[in-house]
Amino acid sequence: MFVLPSCHEIEEWDQDIEGNFNALWKVVDEHYCFFDEKGVDWNEVYSRYHARLSSDMRGLEFFNLCAQMLDELQDGHVNLSSSFKTSYYRKWWSDYPQNYDERLVEQYYLRFDYSTVGGIDYAVLRDNVGYIRYPSFSYPVGHSAMDAILSQFALCKGIIIDIRNNGGGDMTNVEVITSHFINRRILAGSISHKTGPGHNDFSEPYPYYFDPVGEERVRWIKPVVVLVNRSTFSAANNFVSVMQYLPNVRIVGATTGGGSGMPFSSEIPCGWGVRMSACPVYDAQGKTTEKGIDPSENCAVDLDPVLALSGIDTMLDFAVGKILSDDF
Amino acid sequence: MRLFIVIICLIMNVALWASEDDKTLRPVAAAYTLEVGSSHLSDTYLTPLKYGGQSFALGYERMQAMRFSPERWVMQLTGRLELNRALNPAHNATMWDLGLELQWGMMRRWSVDGVSGLQLYAGGATTLDVGALYLSRNGNNPVSAKAAWTVGLTGAAVYNFKISRLPVCLRYQPVLPVTGAFFSPDYGELYYEIYLGNRDNLAHAAWFGNYFRLNNLLTADLRLGSTNLRLGYRGDILSTKENNIVTRRITHTLIIGVSGEWLSLPRSGRISSNAKIISSVY
Repeated sequence: MFVLPSCHEIEEWDQDIEGNFNALWKVVDEHYCFFDEKGVDWNEVYSRYHARLSSDMRGLEFFNLCAQMLDELQDGHVNLSSSFKTSYYRKWWSDYPQNYDERLVEQYYLRFDYSTVGGIDYAVLRDNVGYIRYPSFSYPVGHSAMDAILSQFALCKGIIIDIRNNGGGDMTNVEVITSHFINRRILAGSISHKTGPGHNDFSEPYPYYFDPVGEERVRWIKPVVVLVNRSTFSAANNFVSVMQYLPNVRIVGATTGGGSGMPFSSEIPCGWGVRMSACPVYDAQGKTTEKGIDPSENCAVDLDPVLALSGIDTMLDFAVGKILSDDF
Repeated sequence: MRLFIVIICLIMNVALWASEDDKTLRPVAAAYTLEVGSSHLSDTYLTPLKYGGQSFALGYERMQAMRFSPERWVMQLTGRLELNRALNPAHNATMWDLGLELQWGMMRRWSVDGVSGLQLYAGGATTLDVGALYLSRNGNNPVSAKAAWTVGLTGAAVYNFKISRLPVCLRYQPVLPVTGAFFSPDYGELYYEIYLGNRDNLAHAAWFGNYFRLNNLLTADLRLGSTNLRLGYRGDILSTKENNIVTRRITHTLIIGVSGEWLSLPRSGRISSNAKIISSVY
């Protein structure tokens, strides 16, 4: 009699369609972090989608309805996962030019002759420009690998870090790579989190800093171009948000895809998993990058699909030209 | 801090009285146990759903009359390694809970007039509890770390009797933490942010409103010879609410183990005929 009243309450939902719908809506309501930035009235969304519920819905039909509701958030970090399907909001990149052709780079620039270490491909391009291609921040990167790569570029005038189509991964890899391009401690950005279930319950942004690698390692202080496209997302977007403020770095290409909210996972009674942006990360000037980061001034460039047929990557050529130019 | 000072004073007193008390022997009652049962886990940092499954634990217990007043005071040291495995309602996700608990307590005991073999104990206990919940399906928030240090009340009723010619020691002991400190991340805070250096709002003072735990232990030591067979039941409930995060761990386990009393002989290897043996429970 003494024990049971002492347990703290945990909300429970029914296992039916209604219960699972309410659970999904509430989990997102209490943890999602970009309602205001996206201009989403989540209560209105509830009303609209709840009206479409019916108790005799089948699994896939109900899943698709829930996925459509989550798409209202317009967020690439939001997914609903079941044993038969995972929802994914794609318009953040599908409505934009892809600006990347891997085969084009492999065949006409790397000539299928490049080195790979720790998930990073690298080679020296024409005109003595170093080229690094990092397809995913999920690939672990070590300082020794970065030392080896940058040592190969010792005689190059500058390097290109191509993170087009890099959809993100592990944020700690951002720190590892960036630490080779700075000479002093820098403010990398700030991070906030929900302090409660209310839409405006956020902590004060907590600033975080990156330190340079030790002097026994290789630091690169010559020109760097970070080559990006709309599919540069999440941790890759975060990498751009840090690198954009370094004096020897230019961001070249198209506006990145954003995805600055670190995702949080949850689930609903039927066992489907839910993932959503929960912790907003800001750049060093306190700006959100959820909707993407623009290229540096006069560095916006797209891939010309016609010239691509002739083996020309106009974005990569622009990046090479930028490094070779006197007004970098 | 006050309790800590009291404990230090008592230990110092032990050293002072030791030389006066050479003819008092205080056997150590120790037990090694295995526990198997059910678990009910909830942690709204990881999931809003309640998980249910199995509970396993290995335990060690050591009780001994205290040197400074062996007739009246008893100390108890326990250690438990607990593993809980639980499934969500849809049975498609598994949560693991691994915890280590160390507890030290000291109790005053009384014999009950008119009831032979019955002793009542009351005192305090301090507990260190560390561990983690792991939910593999979660991406950036797969783990919920646990750490708590508490000070609380404990007591026991011990009844030594016989079933036919078999001596039995029946014991019921609840432990109720009253205050202390425990760890909790903020509502939606990722451990990555803690890794980056944000240590704000992680340690919390514990009280009944945000940290409730009650551990009920019932054991029966069947004194078969020099070694006893221990059978028992443990009902352990932990419920916390801090930073809008609710956690709950309820386990019911059956206990089986061995127990016995061990006596360290004096350097001479002989026990004085005048020696008085004071057991902690038997």
